[in-house]
Amino acid sequence: MASKKKISRINKPVEESFFASPLYDFLSPFRPVSNQWLTEYIIVIFALIVRCAIGLGSYSGMGNPPMFGDFEAQRHWMEITQHLPISKWYFFDLEYWGLDYPPLTAYHSYVLGVIGSFLNKSWFALNDSRGYESENNDLKTYMRTTVIISEIIFYIPGVIYFTKWVGRHRQQSLIGQYIAAAAILFQPSLMLIDHGHFQYNSVMLGLTVYAINNLLDEFYAPAAMCFVLSICFKQMALYYAPIFFGYLLGRSLFSRKFFNISRFLSIAISTVFAFFSMYAPLYVFGGGLRNVIQSVHRIFPFARGLFEDKVANFWCVTNIFIKYKILYTQKELQLYSLIATVVGFLPAVVTILFYPKKHLLPYALAACSMSFYLFSFQVHEKTILVPLLPITLLYTSTDWNVLSFVSWVNNVGLFTLWPLLKKDGLTLQYGVCFFLSNWLIGNFSFITPKFLPKMLTPGPPVQNTEDTYHRRSLLPHNILWKIIIVSSYIVMLLIHLGEIFVSPPPEYPDIWVLMNCCLGFGCFVLFWLWNYYKIFTLANKTLQYL
Amino acid sequence: MLNNGCKRGRYAEGELLKVDLNCCSCSVCEFIMSDIDTKEKLTLEDDGSEFEVAVGKQQQQEHKQQQELRMNRKSKNGEVKERKYSLWNFWLSSLCLKLLLFPDYYSTDFDVHRNWMAITNALPISKWYFENTSQWTLDYPPFFAYFEWFLSQFVPKIVRDDGCLDIVEVGQFGWPTVVFQRLTVIISEICLFAVLQYYINTSNLNERTQSFVVASSIVLSPGFLIVDHIHFQYNAFLFSILIASIVAAKQKKYIACAVFYTIALCFKHIFLYLAPCYFVFLLRAYVLNFKDFKFKSYKDLIFIVQWRRLLKLGSIVLGIFGICFAPFIFQMPQVLSRLFPFSRGLTHAYWAPNFWAIYSFLDKILAVVMLKFPYVHRFISKFISSPLIPSSIAEIKLRMEENNNGSKGLVEDVFFVILPQIQPKLTFLLTLFYQILAVIPVLFNPSFKRFIGSLTLCGLASYLFGWHVHEKAILLVIIPFSFLVVCDRRLLSSFMLVASAGYVSLFPLLYENQDFLVKSLYTFVWCIVYFFAFRKTTQYSTSIQRRIFFLDRLAMIYISSLLVMVWSIETLDLLKINHQFLARFEFLGLMTYSVYCSVGIISSWIGLSWLYNFDEPLWLS
Repeated sequence: MASKKKISRINKPVEESFFASPLYDFLSPFRPVSNQWLTEYIIVIFALIVRCAIGLGSYSGMGNPPMFGDFEAQRHWMEITQHLPISKWYFFDLEYWGLDYPPLTAYHSYVLGVIGSFLNKSWFALNDSRGYESENNDLKTYMRTTVIISEIIFYIPGVIYFTKWVGRHRQQSLIGQYIAAAAILFQPSLMLIDHGHFQYNSVMLGLTVYAINNLLDEFYAPAAMCFVLSICFKQMALYYAPIFFGYLLGRSLFSRKFFNISRFLSIAISTVFAFFSMYAPLYVFGGGLRNVIQSVHRIFPFARGLFEDKVANFWCVTNIFIKYKILYTQKELQLYSLIATVVGFLPAVVTILFYPKKHLLPYALAACSMSFYLFSFQVHEKTILVPLLPITLLYTSTDWNVLSFVSWVNNVGLFTLWPLLKKDGLTLQYGVCFFLSNWLIGNFSFITPKFLPKMLTPGPPVQNTEDTYHRRSLLPHNILWKIIIVSSYIVMLLIHLGEIFVSPPPEYPDIWVLMNCCLGFGCFVLFWLWNYYKIFTLANKTLQYL
Repeated sequence: MLNNGCKRGRYAEGELLKVDLNCCSCSVCEFIMSDIDTKEKLTLEDDGSEFEVAVGKQQQQEHKQQQELRMNRKSKNGEVKERKYSLWNFWLSSLCLKLLLFPDYYSTDFDVHRNWMAITNALPISKWYFENTSQWTLDYPPFFAYFEWFLSQFVPKIVRDDGCLDIVEVGQFGWPTVVFQRLTVIISEICLFAVLQYYINTSNLNERTQSFVVASSIVLSPGFLIVDHIHFQYNAFLFSILIASIVAAKQKKYIACAVFYTIALCFKHIFLYLAPCYFVFLLRAYVLNFKDFKFKSYKDLIFIVQWRRLLKLGSIVLGIFGICFAPFIFQMPQVLSRLFPFSRGLTHAYWAPNFWAIYSFLDKILAVVMLKFPYVHRFISKFISSPLIPSSIAEIKLRMEENNNGSKGLVEDVFFVILPQIQPKLTFLLTLFYQILAVIPVLFNPSFKRFIGSLTLCGLASYLFGWHVHEKAILLVIIPFSFLVVCDRRLLSSFMLVASAGYVSLFPLLYENQDFLVKSLYTFVWCIVYFFAFRKTTQYSTSIQRRIFFLDRLAMIYISSLLVMVWSIETLDLLKINHQFLARFEFLGLMTYSVYCSVGIISSWIGLSWLYNFDEPLWLS
C-alpha cells in the first residue's frame, strides 16, 4: 500500500480527457467542490431518463405472432418459473422459448415474475398469457422498469465505482471521472439492446464489472464469486473466463511469495461454492443430476449451426466465399472454431498470467472476448456487447489514442446492431442514440465553430484556452489510423444511404446486411490487432499509462 | 494567503484547503476561485461539508470587482475575453430526448391541433370559426389559426395521405402525422431558444450567469416537456412571444413590449390573465409622466399624460388587434363565443390545484363528517344559518343523491353539498381584487422588478381564483417568476414551492404508467439542478436577518414530500388491478394531487405577496 501511494505522488495528475466536449460543458458548473457530490446522481438520472425514453419505443417481436421475440421469451420465463416446480423449468415446452439461460436468470425471472403477478395476474398466467400485449402498454412498462431497476442495482454502481477507482488512482480530476462515467453509461449499444430490443444484459455485464472492481481492490475470492454469478446469469460471460482464470492464477502464483497457496485456495473454494449454490436448488428441488445436465444442455446449444443470423464475425463473413456448411460437418466446424478461438485469446491469457496487472485487465478482457466474438461457434450479433464492455470501460483512460479507438469501436459495434434494431422498429432510437453518444463526448465538436455564430459556440470558456481553441473529435494521432477510421465512417454512411435509396438486387437480398457485417468484421479485426499491440506495449508499464 | 494546498485537482483528495478570497495573483487559487461562489468563504472538505459566512460589505464590493474581472478575463494576447453562454448544447440534448419521446402517449390535444390544421387548410377563412364536424372546434384567437394554416402549408404528401388534413369527426392518422406534428412543435420551439439567447446576450456582464441560469431553466422546463412534447401543445412557441415582451420591458423598449404582448394575446387568449399588469405598467412607465408634475389645478392632470405616446401605443395595439380580427369582423359574436365558452364548470374533472380545489375538498370532507356525525351539523347550524349550509341532514343526503344521480360527466358543473355554490361573478371579482392589489405598486414604482413581480402575482391570482382554470396555466406563473427569483434569495423558497408543486400538478395530464418514470425523473432532476443553480446564483438578500428560516425548512419538507406523494399514489395506482378494493380510491389519488399541490401554490402566493407588498429593500434597484 505504502509503495503505491508513493508512486501516485510521484506521478503527475493526468490531463483532462474530454476537454471541451458537451459533457464537459454541462458538468463544468458542478466543478466547485461543494457541488461535486451532486454530479454522479445527476448523470445517473439523466442516463435513466434516456433509457426510459428509449423504452417508449417498440421491442423485439412486438405484435408479431406466433413466436414474438426476446421480450416474449423473458416474459415467458417469468411465467413458467413462478408457476412450475423447479424440476420442470428446463423441460417445459422447449419449442416455445424454452429456458436456455443458466439458473440465475431463472431465479431473476422468478422474482420479477412474482412481483409482476402481484401487480397484475393476467400478465403471467400460465399458458394463457402467451403473447400478452395490453392496450395501455402496462406489461411493457413493467418489463421496461424491471430492466431499469436491474441496471440500477447491478450495472450503474459498478461502473461508477470503477471510474472513481481508476480516477482516484490516476489523479484524475473529479469532473474527468464523472465525464468518463457518463460516457460509459451513455454507451448506445447496451442502451438500445437492453431497453429497446429488450434483454437483461446489464445484469451479466454489471456482475462482471463488480468482479473487475473486486480485482482492483484485491479482493480475489469475492471477485471470483461475482464472476461466477455473472456466468450463471448468462453463459456469454464465459467469453471473459480465460482472462479471469489467467489473472487469478497469475496473482496466486506470482505474488510476493512464489505460490500464495491460501489465496489460491480461497479463490478455488469460493468459485466452487458459488457454482454449487447456484445449481443446488436445481439439484435438490429439481430432481437430481438430470435437471442439472438438462440445464447445461440447454445452455450450450451445440446442435445449432455455426452462426444463425448475419453477424460480423470471421465465419459469417468468410462464408460468403467458402460455404462451410457444405464443406464440413458440424463436428469439424466446432473443432475448427474452438481452435481458432483458443489461438485468438491465448496470447492475452499468457500475458495476463505473467503480468497480472490491473491496468491490463480491460485490454485483456477486450482481446479475449473479441476473439470469442470473432471466431467462436454460434455467435449472435448482440454478443458484441460482451467485448464492448471492457472496451468502453477504457473511457477512463486519458490517452487520446485509446479514447479514439474506444469511441470508434463503439460506433462500429452499434453499426453492426443496425439490422437487428431495424427489424425491431427502433430506427429512430438508433439514430438518436448514435448521435447523442458521439455528440456528448465531443465527436461532433469540430463542426460547431465552423457553423455557429460565435455567440452560440457552446460552453463556458475553459480558462486556459484561447478563443481559437480547436475542438478535436476523437481520432488517433497516427495519420494511417485516422484515414482508416474516417473512411470506415464514410463507408458506414454510404451503406446506410444505399439501404435507403437503392433496393438490393434480387439475387442478393441481404447485400446491405452483408456489407454491414463485412465492414464490422474488418473494423473489429483491426481493433483487435491494435488491442494486442497495446497489451504487449503496456505489459511492463503502470496504471498511469492505461 | 494560504496557498499551500491548492494543487489543482488535488482538492478532491480530501485535504483541507483554504482559499484566500483576495488572492488573485496565484494561478492555482485563481483556478479554484473561478469555481467557487465568491460571496461565500468556504472551508472545503472532501465530504462536501461547508460553512457559509456572510461577508462584510466592503469585502462584498471587492468580490464584485473581482467577479467582473473574471468575466472579462484577458486572454494572453490582451484582448478582452467574454464568457460565452450558449443555449446550443441545451437545444441539442433536449432535442435528442424529444425525438425519443415521439412514440409516447399524446392527448386529445393532438387531434385538436390536427383538426385545426385541417380546417385552416381546407376551408375559406370565413368558415374557420363555424366548422364543427369534429367536437374539437377552433377556439384559439385568429393568430393561432393563421399559424396552423402556415403549418399546413408544409404538410408533405406522405403525411397528407396519412389523413393529417382530413376534416373528420375523429382523426384517422398514423405514424407520419405524429412525426410531422411533433416536429412542428420542436421547430416552433426554436423561437423560445432564440429569444432567450437574445436575453442572455443583451444582459449586463455581471448578471449574465444569472440570465443564463434563468434562460436554461426555462428551455429545459419540465412543464414544456410534459405539456408540449408528450401531451402535445405549442406552449413553448407561445411563451417565446411573451418572454420577448418581458425582455423588451427589461430593456425599457415599451413599444416592443406592448407589441409582443398583444401578439401573444392574439395567439392564445389565456395571456389575458396578465393583462392588468401590462396595462398598468405600460401606462405608468410609458404614457404617464410625473417628473415635472406640480398640482396647481385640475388642468395640470392633462399634462401628466403624454398624449403623443398614448396615441402611438394605442394605435399600434389596436392595429395588431385589427390585423388579427379584421377577417372575422362580421362574425365577432361567433368568434367570441368560441373563445370564451362560459358554459364550462368551476373546476375540471381533475381539479387544478388552486383555491377551489381546497374549497371542493373541504366540501367533500364536511359532507362525510356531517353524515357520520350529525351533531357536527347541529353544532355548526347554531352559528351559520340555512342558506349558507343545508338546513338538515336530510337535505344533505338529498343533495348528495342529486349530485350522484345527475348525469355526472355530462354536466360539467360542480355542485357543492355543504358549502355555498360559487358563481362565475364571484371568481371574477376575487381575481380582479387580487390583481389590483398586485398592480398598485407598479403604479407607484414602474421598475422592471416590480413589473415582473406583479406579472407573477397576476398570474397567480387568476390561477388561484379563476373560473375553470387549467393546470397548464401554472406555466404562466412559473415562467415570469423565473425572471424575478434571481433578484433575491428570499424569493427562492416561494419560487421552489410554486415550481415544484406546479410541475408535479401537471403529472395527472400523463395518466399512463409508461410516462411515470420519464415525467417524475425529469421533474426531479430539473428541480435538483435548478434549485441548486438558483441558490448559487441568486443575490444574497440585503436584509439577511429577515429570512424566516423556519418557513424555509418547512418549504423544503413540503417539496421533498411531494416525491413521497407522487410515488405512493403511483404505487396505489399500480396495485389496483389486482386488488379491487383499491379501485374505489381512484379519485382519491387525483384529489391528493390537487389538494397537496394547491397547498404549496397558495403558500407560495402568500410568501410572494408578503415580500412584494411589505419588504422594501428587495425592490430597490
